[in-house]
Amino acid sequence: MRNLLMFPLIALTALTTFSSVALAQEVFQRPGEPEQRPPSLYQKIQGTGPGGPAPRRDLSGSWAGPLEPKPGVVPPMTALGESRFKLNIPDPFSAHSNDPWATCDPFGFPRSATNETRGISFAQMPDRVVIMTQYQKVWRQVWMDGRELPKNVGAKGGPDSRWYGYSVGHWDGDNTLVVETTGVDDSTWVDRRGYPHSVEMRIEERYTRVDHNDLELTVTIDDPKIYTKPFVIATNKFKWIPNQEDEEQLCVPSEAISYLNTVAIPASQDRATDKK
Amino acid sequence: MNTKRAMSFALVVGVLTVCGPLFAHHGNAAYDTGKTIILKEATVTKFVWANPHTFIMFDVKDDKGNVLHWVGESGSPASLSLLGWSKSALHPGDLITVYIYPSKNGNPVGRLNKIVLADGTTLKDSALGYRDPE
Repeated sequence: MRNLLMFPLIALTALTTFSSVALAQEVFQRPGEPEQRPPSLYQKIQGTGPGGPAPRRDLSGSWAGPLEPKPGVVPPMTALGESRFKLNIPDPFSAHSNDPWATCDPFGFPRSATNETRGISFAQMPDRVVIMTQYQKVWRQVWMDGRELPKNVGAKGGPDSRWYGYSVGHWDGDNTLVVETTGVDDSTWVDRRGYPHSVEMRIEERYTRVDHNDLELTVTIDDPKIYTKPFVIATNKFKWIPNQEDEEQLCVPSEAISYLNTVAIPASQDRATDKK
Repeated sequence: MNTKRAMSFALVVGVLTVCGPLFAHHGNAAYDTGKTIILKEATVTKFVWANPHTFIMFDVKDDKGNVLHWVGESGSPASLSLLGWSKSALHPGDLITVYIYPSKNGNPVGRLNKIVLADGTTLKDSALGYRDPE
């Protein structure tokens, strides 16, 4: 029995690794299929150059990103992590999926930073930074006044968990904003691959403004209940939008249902009916 | 033994099922991108400018004169806007020529390569529309 289970485990590891590599590419290409080039504002403004030095401790303004970031390699999960992961079936536009994306449920954090990352904006106030994500027009408050993250979120007597958790931040040097987040509702997935998390998960975002026009992000997860060690879930790059005009991009439940019923399922009925 | 082997196999199939969709951004897996069908004198019945993907519904007559109701999937509004499309690019009743990658299951559903409007304007899709049809 043990030996028989090893094969699926090896296959799972290999496939997960392979999927990560596939997702890491700027273009999404299936083996044996022609290259696809989804045009994005990010691709269109690649030639704008560095634009001079980065201003000190200032990210304010609008930035364009790629459709998807570079996904990280997920370490082995705990038994609880494995059991939770098995319940999540990605690909929102197939009949058998249970991805909350299919019904346009809030991504929560960090999925809002690991999925559909075409645009991000920052607004700085004296005591906080507001991070705004283009997709679904989501905004998060990051307190910069030195307060601590809440403890015992979700436990009796503690504050409630939230879709986007609780965030505090500080500057590391003149060009890096560090944001710490916890208390995220554990029904959300950390990325489109369906990886789970607990309410106790701690997430660190490091935004480094390399020069005026370039911003780099690393998102790290520490969740000992679910993963055997901390790991980088995604790295991303953003470009300063020359005219500062954001795009609008929303997941609309009625549109998603219409797309699923009119296009996705008729186009793949064989796939859909073969499963479940 | 057979039960164990079956369980092992089922688990692999399950994993493949989960991993398969990850290769594409979304959609496309069900389309035969190796061949392009050209549908002339297609009459637009509905243009849905929506996320995640825009689609056009149109009617085409087959060689026996029967009307087929097609659906052509295209990119997101954000992607298509960069290629010259807009929400007002198409209206019901417009006559267009459609270059489309059909679904593998034979349904009248496909992923657009490009469309050509009555005035000759070409609108390419964001995924494979840069590729000239064979």
